[in-house]
Amino acid sequence: MITVAPEVNQANGQTKLDLANLTPEQTSLQIKDLDLYYGDKQALGNVNMLIPKGQVTAFIGPSGCGKSTLLRCINRMNDLVDSCRIEGQIILHGQNIYDKRVDVAALRRNVGMVFQRPNPFPKSIYENVVYGLRLQGIKDKRKLDEVVEKSLRGAALWDEVKDRLHDSAFGLSGGQQQRLVIARSIAIEPEVLLLDEPTSALDPISTLVIEELINDLKNKYTVVIVTHNMQQAARVSDQTAFMYMGELIEYADTNTLFTTPSKKKTEDYITGRYG
Amino acid sequence: MVKQWFKSGSPWIWMTGGAVSISLISVLGLLAMIAWKGLSFFWPSQVVELHLNGSVSEQVVIGEIYDREQVPKSRLEAAGFDLSAYDSEFIERILVKTGNREYVELDFRWVLSTDIKQQSAPEKLAVFERSKNGNFYGYVEQVIENGNVVTDNATERLYELVERAVELNEDALDLQNGDIGHINYELERLRLTEKGYVFDNALTDERVAQLQARRAQLRDDYKVLEERLFALRKKAKRDQVIVRDMRGELVTLPLYQVLDVWFPNDMGYFAKVGHYFTQISKFVSDDPREANTEGGVFPAIFGTVFMVMLMAVIVTPFGVVAAIYLHEYAAKNAVTKMIRIAVINLAGVPSIVYGVFGLGFFVYMLGGSIDELFYREAAPSPVFGTPGVLWSALTLAILTLPVVIVSTEEGLSRIPSTVRHGSLALGATQAETLWRIIIPMASPAIMTGLILAVARAAGEVAPLMLVGVVKMAPTLPLDGNFPYIHLDRKFMHLGFHIYDVGFQSPNVEAARPLVYATAFLLVTVIITLNITAIGIRNHLREKFRSLEH
Repeated sequence: MITVAPEVNQANGQTKLDLANLTPEQTSLQIKDLDLYYGDKQALGNVNMLIPKGQVTAFIGPSGCGKSTLLRCINRMNDLVDSCRIEGQIILHGQNIYDKRVDVAALRRNVGMVFQRPNPFPKSIYENVVYGLRLQGIKDKRKLDEVVEKSLRGAALWDEVKDRLHDSAFGLSGGQQQRLVIARSIAIEPEVLLLDEPTSALDPISTLVIEELINDLKNKYTVVIVTHNMQQAARVSDQTAFMYMGELIEYADTNTLFTTPSKKKTEDYITGRYG
Repeated sequence: MVKQWFKSGSPWIWMTGGAVSISLISVLGLLAMIAWKGLSFFWPSQVVELHLNGSVSEQVVIGEIYDREQVPKSRLEAAGFDLSAYDSEFIERILVKTGNREYVELDFRWVLSTDIKQQSAPEKLAVFERSKNGNFYGYVEQVIENGNVVTDNATERLYELVERAVELNEDALDLQNGDIGHINYELERLRLTEKGYVFDNALTDERVAQLQARRAQLRDDYKVLEERLFALRKKAKRDQVIVRDMRGELVTLPLYQVLDVWFPNDMGYFAKVGHYFTQISKFVSDDPREANTEGGVFPAIFGTVFMVMLMAVIVTPFGVVAAIYLHEYAAKNAVTKMIRIAVINLAGVPSIVYGVFGLGFFVYMLGGSIDELFYREAAPSPVFGTPGVLWSALTLAILTLPVVIVSTEEGLSRIPSTVRHGSLALGATQAETLWRIIIPMASPAIMTGLILAVARAAGEVAPLMLVGVVKMAPTLPLDGNFPYIHLDRKFMHLGFHIYDVGFQSPNVEAARPLVYATAFLLVTVIITLNITAIGIRNHLREKFRSLEH
């Protein structure tokens, strides 16, 4: 095995990782021989990848390529689909999350998720943020207040809502709602944050705010983002995985993938020949 | 031109709009008619004195004009009236409420307008509302207070004396139903306790002594109270009024039987309005008298509301839980589909069938078993093994269960899956998501189900006749005797009251306005219940104005 000396990623000013051979300390998640079927139809085939810790990894690809499905495998949201069957492993902390002994609720506390459309609960802003904490039985008012401020600051929303924490979350704009949902997710301090096209329902300015936010988040969390928008992937991510027809075609650091893709299909996609 | 008009779609708009108008008019017309007929009954109508030169003999009729109708002359002639002097085709006939039931055979009588020689409305005519035998109409001749004739201001004094008698009667009734009723209830419980000991072979001498002591004490209390009761009654019986009735004879009316007296022909507009509202409030708050044809309907209002609320308390959790299982947990297969269809069809089963089921299952099976297990000492008289308010509420709960299930399910299916996923993604289990997010968000739909259920249940009468409603319930299902809520008791119901007063009463003519008044009240009660529920629902809707954008 040849160790390549880390070199500087020009776009992000970070050390480049050898994605095929991450050390355990560098790895957050390992996806191993993953196959997924909806009924008889295969949606993911033989996906293998290592997702590095504390970085932003983007999944790109044309519609229906399985990128969202793959993302939903990481916190087992696909369990909610009756006809879905999964083979293979996803390893977090040395344990396969599809093991029978795994507590799904605990896994999801550790792997948060933000969806395409903002989905705040019909509660106040405050109650939205502390929802996860209340589930864990935390009642201490001081602690809750603290977490609310910290999470809302973390989601760059605090200044906009600090005077109306007890108003309904529905009074916020779409972009604010999406940041509230992010605040709600980071309030329970997950290790991994999954973002499923988080800006597809938002206007350009809100999108920009969220992209900046993603850049801040990666210092604390491993972020995995699915996006339709290649420019967004190029802007926010450190690594990019290109998927096509349920298969992982190419996985490399973002700079490399967008400038010198090694596969023909990747090149066709990023140059806009299909998708 | 016509073709153009058809093409423009206007006929369609006219047709649909017409359908709405017709429905609106029929609903409003129905309400207006019931309201008018029911509410006008309480207005103090004029009392007339009619001098007749009838075919038989001259006579005087005093009473309220109740109804008028045009009768074909030929029919009257066929009935033996000599009307050759009149050439109109129809003759007017007047129904007069003459009251004084114990002195004339009928308290209503038809008078031909052609027989009326003279009609007047003397201001001195008085109406006495009595606790027995209905109204009495006549001229006040003498007021006798404690054996002496009142000479000064007799009318004023009459009002005061009537009020005094009414108050004394009320005190006596309170004593009878309150303290004395309580002692009777206690004595009955002691009897049952003793019988229970006998059943368990636990009747020790010590216990016998205890029971005897308690009993003796209750009897002593009873004697004291009884004396007080008799004293009150005696006091109430002190005064009389002497009235000249339409036959010209003097009749002595004991004032303790008089509930109210008024001179309708002498009343100004405001006095009439005051009287009107007093009568309405009495109707709403009094117990019925005279086989339900007189007095108020308070027990029926109370029974209706109590039973409906009890039903709501039973049906809501059941319906919601069933809907949650069907929608959230049950596998989406043919069996679930069948169950859902069965539930919907259950709403179409005729209500009397539910009544039969309630009688067979709840009253005889369930109630019978409860009696056998817990109320052996009460045998042979049943406690729960007989129709009662609990069984009525349960029967109607089953009747309205489909409504609650269907609308709850609808509410659950309207909640966007993204919200569920949002909760699950934060580490909530399905149950936690249900409790914290789904049920609150579905609560407006649950309330809708409840509104429909209440509206249906409050109007149901047929099944209740089998499982708990009675013509006259001596006690309310809620009182001051332990355990305060008596779910085994029978109750009165406005719907059944209407049926009973309208069709089962000995004096249909007298009771007819009460039918309208009670019907109007029933509608009012249902509307009040519904408006309350709708208010709560709108509040919840506002609160959970969910992701409808």
